[in-house]
Amino acid sequence: MKERIGVYICHCGGNISDYVDVEKVRQAVEHETGVAMAKTTVFACSDANQNDMVEDIHTHNLDGVIVASCSPKLHLTTFRNVTERGDLNKYTYVHTNIREQASWAHSDDKEGATDKAIRLVKAAIAKSRYAEPLHPNLFEAEKSIAVIGAGIAGMKAAAALADKGTEVLLIEKEHRVGGHTATWGPLAMSEESGSALSERIYNDLLQRENVTIMTGTEVITSKGSIGNFTLKVRKRPLKEGDPVETAEFTVGSVVVATGFDSYQPKEGEFGFAQSDNVITLPDFRHLIDHAEGKELIYKGRKIRNIAYIYCVGSRQTNGENTYCSRFCCTSAIHASILAKKRFRKISNYHLNRGIRTYGKQELLYAESLELGDLYLQWAEETPPAVVTEGKKTTITLRDILSANRELELEADLVVLVTGMVPRADNKVGTLFKLPKGRDHFFNEVHMKLRPVETVIDGVTIAGSCQGPKNITESVNSALSAATKSYSLISKGTLETEPIVAEVNSDTCSWCGKCAEACPFDAILQQEVGGKMVAAVNNSVCKGCGMCTPVCPPDAINLINYSSEEIMSMIDALV
Amino acid sequence: MNEEKKIIHYDALVVGGGIAGGEAALNLANTGYRVLLVEKERSLGGKMILLSKVFPSLDCSACITTPKVSEIARHKNITIFTESEVTAIDKRSENDFVAQITKKPRYVHVEDCTACQLCEQACPVSVRDEYQEGLIGRKAAFIPFSIANPKAAAIDIENCTLCGACEKVCPTNCIDFTMEPEQFELHARTVVMATGFKLFDPLEIPRYGYGQHKNVITSMQMEREIAPTRPFNTILRPGDGKVPDKIAYVLCAGSRDASVGNPICSQICCMYSIKQAQLLMGALPMADVTIYYINIRSFGKGFEEFYQQAKGMGVSFVKGKIGTISEKENGNLILRYEDISEGVVKEAEHDMVVLSVGVKSNPDAGKIFPQGTLKLDPQRFVAQTDLMGSPAKTSIDGVFVAGTAAAPMDIPDSILSAGSASSEAISYIKQHQEA
Repeated sequence: MKERIGVYICHCGGNISDYVDVEKVRQAVEHETGVAMAKTTVFACSDANQNDMVEDIHTHNLDGVIVASCSPKLHLTTFRNVTERGDLNKYTYVHTNIREQASWAHSDDKEGATDKAIRLVKAAIAKSRYAEPLHPNLFEAEKSIAVIGAGIAGMKAAAALADKGTEVLLIEKEHRVGGHTATWGPLAMSEESGSALSERIYNDLLQRENVTIMTGTEVITSKGSIGNFTLKVRKRPLKEGDPVETAEFTVGSVVVATGFDSYQPKEGEFGFAQSDNVITLPDFRHLIDHAEGKELIYKGRKIRNIAYIYCVGSRQTNGENTYCSRFCCTSAIHASILAKKRFRKISNYHLNRGIRTYGKQELLYAESLELGDLYLQWAEETPPAVVTEGKKTTITLRDILSANRELELEADLVVLVTGMVPRADNKVGTLFKLPKGRDHFFNEVHMKLRPVETVIDGVTIAGSCQGPKNITESVNSALSAATKSYSLISKGTLETEPIVAEVNSDTCSWCGKCAEACPFDAILQQEVGGKMVAAVNNSVCKGCGMCTPVCPPDAINLINYSSEEIMSMIDALV
Repeated sequence: MNEEKKIIHYDALVVGGGIAGGEAALNLANTGYRVLLVEKERSLGGKMILLSKVFPSLDCSACITTPKVSEIARHKNITIFTESEVTAIDKRSENDFVAQITKKPRYVHVEDCTACQLCEQACPVSVRDEYQEGLIGRKAAFIPFSIANPKAAAIDIENCTLCGACEKVCPTNCIDFTMEPEQFELHARTVVMATGFKLFDPLEIPRYGYGQHKNVITSMQMEREIAPTRPFNTILRPGDGKVPDKIAYVLCAGSRDASVGNPICSQICCMYSIKQAQLLMGALPMADVTIYYINIRSFGKGFEEFYQQAKGMGVSFVKGKIGTISEKENGNLILRYEDISEGVVKEAEHDMVVLSVGVKSNPDAGKIFPQGTLKLDPQRFVAQTDLMGSPAKTSIDGVFVAGTAAAPMDIPDSILSAGSASSEAISYIKQHQEA
């Protein structure tokens, strides 16, 4: 039982103290049983306060520490480390969230927010008194890493990992590497074509001996967890009749770099699939990359007037894809400049929703304006209407840039500037149970603190599977993911949380309810003393607690969250 | 001047202790390399540590930066020099860089200072507080800001009158006017340039009246007014201390404007303005906030949704670039602009105007290397010589660029760029390692 607990109540620089009376909270808890000292602090997480905490642990001879501040997602680890620096077991640290759960949730009711904060801190004190020292589970980690997807991001991640000295398995579903980029011609902001860039990166990768590249190969199952993922892969035969080969590999970490799909417009969306004159941006790029001569010819007709309709499949406030695909403005403008410079008498009309050539890409936009391209802007509520009669395609729109006048233009070719969407084939995501964001791309843990990690330990995300990116951004993300994946396993041993479920095999009689409830497949059946009982795989269990309430004989408990602890917390709360 | 030059050895030199430099240093250190992190300011954390909240998650910036900074400061593989300048870097061969570093005296022994602030109270000199963007004053003996790292007093010797009042009250005798600049010669195997960016100086656009009209401020000043460590406890217009209720944002102030020599887009201003507008709507529920823009560029993950959210909260968005700003007698401001959607020139009155100033390059980066060897781009950012294949590479093998030293970018992109630079630096060291 802890008897000398130190309690810190954080202002969060106003985030908490604007709504919660932190001094009142301090006074309300300082005489609670087990509390040796209670303090308020402007920023508990600041270096200065961390140092004070370490000093307090020693001078006040504390045996438990509580910080009442933000979400544990943000700073549980920070304060566990502080506790450890004060020579206490870091798992005895108790975190309580009075920001998201009190000040932010009840910014309209200061008294209520303060009262709730007091109860939350008292509950934390109740829990802290029971806190037992724990030790992390230690595992041997495989020192090899799998990269799934051999587009630009996957290949760059693989090269960076190989440079750091690990064995790398680069697994690609297609029979070739390079992803989308390998099929592209000239790139915006570069002198090099997509295919040449892909070739260069691939050749550079081949210089490394510790990379195994498997094309035409899919991961079909994944077992285990960080440190020891067993991946079963299947090689698709190149031609019919060849045998299907499967193989198994064990790796310590996985970099997912499965890329994106191009948005496919629906039939009738801006005349798509109803008129020969309407094509998507990738098709248009393909057309100009492969055209010969001075005339741009499409389906036997000379092309002069080209209309580009932007944000097709992106920024749909009430549609499926609310996000901006970020690369398409630049890509479309770049393609239009190429077309104008290469072919005779091209006129470009850009029907956009606000051009987003961010950063230095703005210079391309400026160049396009200098070339005399026309920019017309429409609002989401009044999209352009594309009508084809015979061979003639007419577009009408309300142009914001000319005081909302209705304009009509004839186009020989309409290019739908389509954005990026998540891969329709989500096998890899399903395999690793990767969570997705609102945009349905894979989600990172924290955009700024942990931008390439996922909630699945050991699985990082690189490139456009995390969200739309251009090539530069994909490479940066890939190298960051490689660095992170490497650092996870480079020591050879791994620590995982000791807060996992624990089965009492005396009372367990294997009904399987816990295994059904487990979202991480961490519970298996096992024979103990002649009967079947549940067993928890400690390296997979996340300590979420889903299994504990469903157990009929109450035979499964979460370490650090025993019924005793929870009941005492509830007593303090109500 | 202390003439004796100390020779020191590290695996990597990281120039710049902002969020990009810090992230790069951490990555290198976590991989086992010994890093010297050199920062010219008195605190780590760069511009990010001084921000309010960050888009689009509205996380409190200090809550993300301070623990990161603390981790950097405490890492056994990282040594930090603040108030220090890298004056020259010479590449002798692969994996062999020699840097000249000057560590300026702080006139305070940091390890003895308890940040009790008694010196601050005793100091009779008041000057403009640069960490609060000049909104208030500070002393010449002072703690730079409450979440600074290191959190210790410093003496601003330029403004100090050498009266000795601070020395007398200091309980730990940590103030020492005899400190002198120290010279170091660093030998390192690789260099990461994370020298960050400069904010556009709005004095370059006289028609916006910054510096003339009292209630025209920059977005960084507004950032301070709404930060947790804000100078006033509320939002005030500097002219008369009135709480504003009709605030205007002028986007592209110094960006996308060849007439001020900055034709590129700064990439962050749309989003930080939308963020500030949302925070202002929360802090001043009765206030009107209008954002005057050319195009809204909410292109990152969750950004477009954040923009739509601001519209839903009632922030007004007016498409039109501001031509001129004039001041009325009561301190209110008249903005003249073309309302694009109506095609007419209009005037609007606001009681406070925020100029959303853009990102300019920090030309210091180029000066450190022998003339012309570290190539800069036309905007004088560090040139990325393989933008698509290896974005962190520069014109010098073994020198990598991280964050806004290369181009305007937001925090998530800076962090990924730092990850990229540190990864390349590790590959470079390994590639040229003697067997």
